[in-house]
This record gives sequence, structure tokens and C-alpha cells, in this order.
Amino acid sequence: MIRATTGGVLRGYRRNLMSSFIGLNKARETMLTQRTFNSYAEDPAAAAKAFKLRKARMGVETHYDICDDTFHKYQVAYNSLQGIDEVLDTKNGECMNTLSGTTLKMLNDPTGDAREQLTKVLDQMSESLIQNMNQKYAGNFVFAGADGHNVPFKIENNKLYYRGVPVDAEKPVLFDADGAQVKLNANGEVDPAGDNILLAGAGTISKADYDAAVANQATDPTAKVPDVMQAAGGGIATFGPAGSEYYIIQDDSVKTMTQPEIDKATTDAEKLKYLAGEKYFVDIGLGFQENEDGQLIESSGYNASLSGLSFLGYGLDEDGDPKNVYSIVQKLKEIGARVHEGENWTGADYDEFKALVGKLENASSNFKTEFTNMAAGTTKLQNNLKLLEEEFDSLQEQYSNLEDVDAADAITSLIWAQYCYNAALKVGNSVLSESLMDYLS
Amino acid sequence: MGMIGTFDSFTTARLGIYAAQHGLRVTGNNISNINTAGYTRQRLDQISLKTGGNDMYRSFYDNHIGNGALVTGINQVRDPYLDIRFRNTNADVGYTDTMVAGLKEIASILDEVGRGENKGDGILYAQLKGLADSLSKLGADPSKDNDILTRNSAQALCTLFNTYASKLETLRQNTEDGFKKDLDSVNEILTNIRNLNESIRNSEIHGDNALEMRDERNRQIDALSNYMQIKVEYTMEDIGAGKQVEKLTISLGNANPDPGVHTDETVLIDGIYGSQISMPAQKPQPNPNFGVNGDTNLYLMPDGVTGTNTLSQAQKIDNDNYTLVVSKLVDSKNRPHIDPEMNKDHPVALDDNDLYGSLQATRELLTEKGEFATADNMALDENATIKRGIPYYQKSLDLLAQKFAEQYNKLNQGTLVDQNGDPVDSITGTIPELKALDIAFSQAIGTEGGFGDGYYVNAEGVFVGTSAHAPNCTLDAAGIKATDTVDEALAKIRKVVPGFATNADGTDAANKLDQLKDFMKNHGVNDDNAGKETVTLTKPIKLGGPLFSNRNDRDDPTGITAANISIAHKWSTGDVRVVPTCVQLFGEDGKPLPHTTQPENINHMISMVDKSLVYDPKELDPDAVGSKLFQGSFNDMFSNMMTVEGNDERVNNVKLNTHYTALIEIDTSRDGVSGVDLNDEAMNMMQFQKAYSAACRLMTAIDEAIDRLINNTGIAGR
Repeated sequence: MIRATTGGVLRGYRRNLMSSFIGLNKARETMLTQRTFNSYAEDPAAAAKAFKLRKARMGVETHYDICDDTFHKYQVAYNSLQGIDEVLDTKNGECMNTLSGTTLKMLNDPTGDAREQLTKVLDQMSESLIQNMNQKYAGNFVFAGADGHNVPFKIENNKLYYRGVPVDAEKPVLFDADGAQVKLNANGEVDPAGDNILLAGAGTISKADYDAAVANQATDPTAKVPDVMQAAGGGIATFGPAGSEYYIIQDDSVKTMTQPEIDKATTDAEKLKYLAGEKYFVDIGLGFQENEDGQLIESSGYNASLSGLSFLGYGLDEDGDPKNVYSIVQKLKEIGARVHEGENWTGADYDEFKALVGKLENASSNFKTEFTNMAAGTTKLQNNLKLLEEEFDSLQEQYSNLEDVDAADAITSLIWAQYCYNAALKVGNSVLSESLMDYLS
Repeated sequence: MGMIGTFDSFTTARLGIYAAQHGLRVTGNNISNINTAGYTRQRLDQISLKTGGNDMYRSFYDNHIGNGALVTGINQVRDPYLDIRFRNTNADVGYTDTMVAGLKEIASILDEVGRGENKGDGILYAQLKGLADSLSKLGADPSKDNDILTRNSAQALCTLFNTYASKLETLRQNTEDGFKKDLDSVNEILTNIRNLNESIRNSEIHGDNALEMRDERNRQIDALSNYMQIKVEYTMEDIGAGKQVEKLTISLGNANPDPGVHTDETVLIDGIYGSQISMPAQKPQPNPNFGVNGDTNLYLMPDGVTGTNTLSQAQKIDNDNYTLVVSKLVDSKNRPHIDPEMNKDHPVALDDNDLYGSLQATRELLTEKGEFATADNMALDENATIKRGIPYYQKSLDLLAQKFAEQYNKLNQGTLVDQNGDPVDSITGTIPELKALDIAFSQAIGTEGGFGDGYYVNAEGVFVGTSAHAPNCTLDAAGIKATDTVDEALAKIRKVVPGFATNADGTDAANKLDQLKDFMKNHGVNDDNAGKETVTLTKPIKLGGPLFSNRNDRDDPTGITAANISIAHKWSTGDVRVVPTCVQLFGEDGKPLPHTTQPENINHMISMVDKSLVYDPKELDPDAVGSKLFQGSFNDMFSNMMTVEGNDERVNNVKLNTHYTALIEIDTSRDGVSGVDLNDEAMNMMQFQKAYSAACRLMTAIDEAIDRLINNTGIAGR
């Protein structure tokens, strides 16, 4: 610079003073807002990252709420199932006043002194099971699978329905006559135009055995020849290939259903299978992502569905007996009602009752397995809540590290900026006061 | 030795006094104007006076002595090179300062750092996430209450989109108003400079160098250089009789990087002639082939093919690019330039990059669309895709709103499937029953015939239903009403499907009713429904309806922008809700199993929150050149908008600081040459004061000497 003029010096001073004041203002703003940056322009990368972390924190808050809700729903479920468990076989470490205890009492009560009362107890206990399974949490039925707005279990005419489907529905097994159905007419004759379809379980007899029995009866009138089904056009209905022909025995084992009944039972069985395994997923912070086909990746959500069917059982076993606890108890109750109080069991009733008690134990065992699985789910939710709490703290800390100022640093910067500004003001005083003019005499 | 005039020395002393006195006056003038903006320090020009010429027969002993000092004029002290540097840097400062100010305005709308709950969760950013969280809660419990909460959250989000869009539009309008005011200021400066040129010229003709007017002119030129880069030239103009005066010429500063473009050198001021800059409502159609195969035509003629360089002949199109036009050069009495060559190209429509300075920065803020730039924009500026002004942020926000609405509208209009995921072939029920299953009714879709998804047919196979149902069954795109007869319905179909059920001779086809039934079957209506209160819909059976619309009183999902996005009318009235599931459980018997808390479809919506989507500018504007603006979630897209703005602002801020520092340094240097310094002037004052005293003392000495000569010489003869 050749010349430093009064105007030039003043302009430079003004600029530097303004720069110092801007610095002071910035330091003050940092101190007041306690943030390291106040706009994207100040630090775009940090701002973008901080927003991502905040978004994650907001998500964690929501996930926590949902997880907490689900956890409480599971707690309600746990309490209900605990009650059912007590009704089934263990109460205060004893089996008194439980289904198990009551049925054992009935088995061990050959004189049937209290059978009537015990039967009533069975009835009450089975109803209390259903009441427990119809528990609600926050307005939704807990054990209704994915239909929380509707009561899951209903009893009509002593039959139990889950979401409108009879719990004892089972796909009928048809009698297989060499790959063909056997249709019967109203007279019980084999008739392709008949409406009744023969179910599996019917007894058969080979033509040779039947003929032998007939021949035997000719010589021994006391010998019995089984009744076999007749064909609608007359004669015995014959099945099987030539040389291996057989007949169907006409007795109590013959059961039929119409096609609509079969269709309904089949569909009901499919419904039960679907409903027992029904799932619905909630977002508790496990990622909640879909695959390329737009299907939720199941491990990224939490299956919050609790199906009452899976706890109490459904369908029929190979003997045609119900697998559902309530239905088993209803059947036990029926057997109990067959024998008047004070009378001894008949052998068949006793055996049937005993077999069903065994099946009740199986159903009870199945219940306990499902109960344990659900309890494991509760633990998972509890652990997830803890993880979410930790994640929340961690996220807060992370964006706090990005955004929040170090107090000591901010205070030092502010004091330094104040010091610089005060110094600049003092310099200004000397810049403005002195010139050669002041020394002219 | 030659003769010496007795009183010559008095003249010498007198000239010395005059010169010193002038010096003091100039010093005084400098001191007085020390705070005058644009004042250039003045300096006394004086020479040593020598009178007379050389004698033809000059004596060897004849010595010439000067006759004192003569003041020849007052001059300014300026460095033209510093002026050039100052004005170029001033254009840099003008550009970046305006750009930073504009970006800060955008940031004041979009930048959510430190805003919202928890000291910085953001507002729109948080609401985007808030809706996602509402959906998560709805998924956990698809109850009516949670549906209402989700709707309220969506409504709040729409309002925020509307508010941000409105603020950006207000900013654009304010910037446009500012641009027009800047143009007025530029024109005022151009007029002032032209008038000053005229006054200075007149003064020069009469012998005055008009220093104060030059100062004012320099001040005006400095101000102009902030608006645009300029080139300033001084030449001498012959005004006749051997006299020349200075002529000032100002032209645009060759800012366009394209060497083939010369409109960036357009003359704005030529001596006493000046132009004005205007922004017409229409501009000439640019020639897309300019520069291709030697095509030098800037514009296209109305035939759209022939090129021209004559503005008046060019085809006119809307001036959405804020193209500026420089008018003809005229003097203060509106007479055109005396040299017709100077106006042969005027008026000149400036090219997109001809300007550089605050005016251009404002233009770019008003026009630049970044990745949304079209081929036309690229023809004007090959860097159009990397320049981002207000329209870029408006369009980005529009694209975000459109994408958001599109995705959620699509998810809420699924097709009914069974528990195995296969489309349900048919469904039967009364209208209320089907509506309870979220079956969609009466959607206006602009497809063939405009038929909606489900409707009621009458005994003739057209429509049935009570009047209570009829409004829900209106096929509104075709304008068909529930009460229409077959002929009326056919007439309406024919408007969108010409020749429908018509013979070659124009008469109705004999099987028109069958054709109508077939047509309706193809659109999901079984003619077996005739006269029934229940309907059987055949596949595809659509569910729900759009959640977002371009108006709150409609269910129109087309053309959604940030400014108009709203929750759809039917969602607001509760006729449509967020469809929890598209699965119908075991509906074959006509009585599907309810699953009231199955959130299968809501879960798709929840997954959408963090889904990485491609934001393609072409989705908003098919003519856009860019194909991928961003890829990420909705929140990421909004964050990206803020990041882009932040980075632009940051870069321009650094540039501004650099340019401003340079400007101050140049200005200080300029002040070092042209500025008044009190020390300097004090020295001058003392110097001229002493010179004045010395000249006076000289006069006294001469007076005494002559007094000796006159009164005390030759007394011997008395």
C-alpha cells in the first residue's frame, strides 16, 4: 500500500470491528442455544446425521409404546393362562378342585356317591376356562388371534366355537373303495345316486369269508353271518377286483355324511388349522422390512397373535375324540351323566371315561407347552423393552454429542470473543483521535 | 544581458501567492469532502511560467528567468486499473451476496435444525416420522380411534406441506418483486450515467473538467458493477474545430463462458446515449441449433424452423426464464444514437448467462431447477442441472409430496386376495356389507368407459339399488347415473368409446343390451345382479380408496403437489379408511371370517416409511433431463433437500467472504490512491501556507528593492 489514508484506515477498522462483533454474536448464539450448529449450512454432514439419529429415537419411542402394550397384553394373557393352568391340574401345588383332580375323583369313585356334583363341577370348570380365554386387554380380546374386536369363543348347545368355527371340526376321511367313494341312499343301500357318502371306519368282509360264514351257518344255525350292505338294484354290493371281492359290513361303524356336510367339515378343519397358526405382526423395533416380493420378513416383526385354539386344542384324534379341553370335559360330563348317582360304572363307560381322562392329560400337556412358549415370548418382549431403553439413551447421547456444545469450550470462546471485541473498540478510539491536525499550532 | 522589466518580479510574487492560495483551497476542498461518498482527492496542477520566446539574435549573456508558477488546473487522483479490479470483484460480491441471501431465505423455510420438539426434532421432518409412528400404532391396533389419529396426523402433514409450499411460493414472488425493483434501480443508474455523461461533456466543451460530476459518475458505475459485470472504456471524441472531449462507454462484461455468444458484450452506455433493460412478458424463441454446424442464428422465426438474429422477427414465447432485453441507445431526448451501426442489433435479448452479478443471482434464484431442468433449459445453459434456485426446492418438495401420496394411495387400493394370496374371484353382499369389508365403490378412474370398481345394476342390466345406494354407485367419470336407462348409459359410454354397440350404418346394434352387459361384466359387474339388492363383484375386486387427493373436497389423486396435497374427501368423512388388510379369510361361502385386528396391509405402509425409493424428476415433469434426484426414504429425501441447500449456502458463503475480503482490500488500495488523508492534507496545508507567506515576503523584498531604486537611487544629482 502506497498510502494509508484516513478513509482507508477507517474502512479497514470498520470491517474488522464488524468481523469482531459478528464473532462475538456467533459465540453468544452458540452459548445461548447450546448447539454446535444452528443450520445445515454450518455443518451439513453433522446436521443430516443428527436428524437421522433423532428419527431413530422417535422410532424407538413408538416401538417402546407398542412393545410395552404388547408386553402388557401378554401379561394379561399370562394371568389368564395361569388361571386356566390352575383349573386344569395344579392349584397351590395340589390337584384338588382341578379338572385333573375332579376326574380322578370320579374315576376312583366306583360307587358314584358324588358323581352328580362332580359332573357339575366339571361343567363349571370348563366354562371358567372359556371365560378366561375371552379376556380383553385395552378393548381387544387377547386370545382372538387377529380378530381382537370380536369375542373368540362362544358356546352354543354345549358346542364350542372359535370365531364361528366349531372347534371339533375335522376333515372327514372317506371310505376308500379302491379309490372311489361309496354313496348310500336313504335306505342305506349302495347307490351311485345316493346323497350319503360312506366315511372310513366301516368294517369289511371278503367275499370268501362271507361265503364261508354263510356255508357255516347252513351247518350250524347258531353261527352268525354279518349283515352286509345291499346294492340299490338288489343283491349284495360287491367291491374289489375279481378274485378279491369284499363286502361292507352293515353295523354301528357305518357312518355317512352328505357332500355339503363333508365340504363344510373340510373347510372348517382348514379354518381351524389356519386360525390356530394365524399370525399378525407388530413393529417393536426389530427392523420391520419387506422382502423383494413385498412380503414382511417375519423375523423383522413380532407376531403378537395369541390364538385360543393353540392353547385349548382343536379337531379330533384318530379315535374321533375331541382334542379340545372344553370338548373333552363336555364328553366326560356326558359320560358322567349317563350313570346315575350311586350306581357303579359300567365297564365300557369306565374305560371310555378313563381314556378321555388320559386325553385330557394330553390336552393339558399341550396347553402347558403353549403356555411355556407364550411365557418365552413375554420374556422376549421384556428384553426388547430393556434394549429399546438402552437404544433410546444411546441415540440421545449420540446426537447430543453431535449437537450440544462443550460448555467450557463455549464459555471460553465467548469470553475470548468479548475480549477481542473490547480490544477492537479501544483500538477504534485511538484510530479516530490522532492525526497531524491535532499537532498544528 | 537582456533587459529586465522593472515590475516583472511583482508578477512572479503574485503568481506565487495565487498558486499557494489555490493550493490552500484545494486542500480545504479535500478536507471538507473527506466524508463525501465517492469523492476523489484533488490535486493542484501548476507549472513554472516562462514568458516570451527566443530572440533571433540573442545575446550570449542574455539569461532567461522564469516568471513564477502558473496554476493550469485541478486534477483527480485515480488508478483506472484499481477501478477495473474493484468493479469486477464487486460483481463477484453482488452475485454471491445475493445468492447467499436467497439461500438463507430458503433455509429459513426448509432448514429445521434446532426447530421442533426436543430442541431439534424438526417440524415437517418430525411429522413425516409422526405419521409413520401413527401407522405403527394403527398396525398394533387397527381400531377406529387409531384410524382417526392416523388421519389427523396425515392432515397435519398435508398442512405442513401446504405451508412450506406456500412459503416457498411467497418467497419466489417476493424475489420476483425484488428482481423488478433491481431492474428499476439498474435503469435509474443507466439514466443517471447517461445524463452525467451529457453534463460532463458540456462542461468539458466549455473548459471545465467537472470533477465532482465524475465522482458521482464513478459512484454510479460502482453501484452498477454490483448488479452486473461491466466493461468501462474511456475514449476521446472529436467534437469538431480540433477539439476533443472524453467519451465513456459501458458494455456488459463478457460474462458468458460460451465464446460464440456476443450478446454479453452489449453496449449499455455510449457517451450521451444510453439504453434501458427490461423484462418483457414474452421473449424470442431461442434457436436450439445455435452453434450447430455453424448456425449463428440466435432465434427462431414463427415458422419454428428458420433462424434469425432479428429480435422483432423472432417467434415470441412466454418469458418464464426472466430473459432481459437491452433497448436501443437513445439520448436524453429519446433520439437514437447518431451512429446507426450502434443500434443495428438493438434491442438485444440477453442470453441466459450474459449477466453476472446480483441481477444474475436473483435470476438464477428465480429460474434454476437443478435436476428438473428441461432440454430447453439445457439449450440455454449447459450447466442448468447443477444450478438450484427456488424452483428446484419447490419441485423437490412437490416430488416428495407426490411420491408420498402416490405410494400410500396405491397401498390403500389393493386387490382383494384370499388367505393363500390368490385374487378372490367374486364376492357377494349388500353395499353396506361390502363397504364394511373396505370394498371400493364409485372410484372415478379415467379408463375405458370411466367405470368405477363396483356398482349396482338395475333390471335392465344397468343399475339397481335404492336411491340411498345410488349415489355410491355412480359411474361418475362417464357421467352415468343410477337412474339412467340402457340408451342413456350407452350414449354416455359412446362418448368415451366411440362406436360402442353401433352398426356400420350408425344404428344401434341389435344386441346392444348384451354388449352393455358384457362391457359391465368386464368392469366387474355380473348381470345376474339385475334387480337385486345384493351384488356380486367379479375380480379384480378393489379395496379402499385414495388417502390423499389434490383437493379436500375430492378423491382425485392426480397432479398432487406440496401446495395442494390434502387428505381425500372420503377419508375425511370416514367413508374410506386405512385398509388394514386385503386378505379375505375363507370367503368362499359368502361369509368370510372376520379378522378385525389383522394389520397386514398397514404393515406394508409401515415398511414403506423406511423403504428406499427413487425420486425421478421425470415423474413430476416428463421433460426433465435428470433421471435420479435422490434415492432414500421420505425423511431422507427431505433431509437431502436441506443438505443440498446447506451445502450451496456454505459454498457461496465461503466465496462471499473471499470476494468481500478482496473487495475491501481493493477498495482500501483505491482509497490509498484516491482517498483523502488528514495527515497528507495537513502537510499540504502547511506547505501552501508557507508558500503563500514566502510569496508575500518576496513581494515585500521586491517592493523594498524597487523603493531603493526609485526613492533612494541617484541622490548625487539632487
